[in-house]
Amino acid sequence: MKKYWRCYVCGDIHFGVKPPEVCPTCLVRNAYVEISSDEAGRTMQPTRTAMTRDEFRPAIEKFAEKNEFEVNPDAAKVETLFDGIFANEQNHGLKYCPCRLRTKDFDEDLKLVCPCNFLVHETYKGKKDGECWCGLFIRRKK
Amino acid sequence: MLVRAVYKEEKVSRLIMFHARECPHCKAMMPHVDRLEKEQNVQFERLEVWHDEKNADLMRSYRPIIAPKCGGQLRTPTFFCPETSDVLCGEVPYEKLKDWVLKQG
Repeated sequence: MKKYWRCYVCGDIHFGVKPPEVCPTCLVRNAYVEISSDEAGRTMQPTRTAMTRDEFRPAIEKFAEKNEFEVNPDAAKVETLFDGIFANEQNHGLKYCPCRLRTKDFDEDLKLVCPCNFLVHETYKGKKDGECWCGLFIRRKK
Repeated sequence: MLVRAVYKEEKVSRLIMFHARECPHCKAMMPHVDRLEKEQNVQFERLEVWHDEKNADLMRSYRPIIAPKCGGQLRTPTFFCPETSDVLCGEVPYEKLKDWVLKQG
């Protein structure tokens, strides 16, 4: 079960089954202590930042640049997907994939938040022209 | 001469297309669905699932049948026939969708 962890040195919050051995921000070893979701929520609230549609694109391009995949160069398709991703965030709280339906089980539905772990999907894994289910990310041509 | 015509009531299977408004694969499949309706005289119930919670709940109610055939998830587009419990999901060529429809009877 995933829990919240806080670095006692720099205050970074980690959500996961276990804490990072080394804090990625302050590089202190064994710095994470388990905290409640309430504390995590309160800790993160003051620094909460909204991500606009214009900011989302560079964020996912940066995410993709050191990976084996890239953002789909089909601009029209990407715009349609952005419409859905941001409509879902507005209507349902998170950037859910517009090509899959949430189950209403919060933990299960976290798997649908874009970008999802599409590397394990049958539409991507082992495929030369692999892409995530919605087509936002495609395997980079070599 | 007395001619008797026996009409057998034609049983028509219900065909559902679960789709999402902002899903590019769904958009790509719409012309195929339009064409099939014209050429094969069938009718799809087109149910949008991200902006209509009633449709979403209906799709969720079929999750045990649909998900195992769609990578373990509820994906769009999904074509579903409740009578046969047959499922086809994703963007597929026209002929594949046509074969699936004809199989439903």
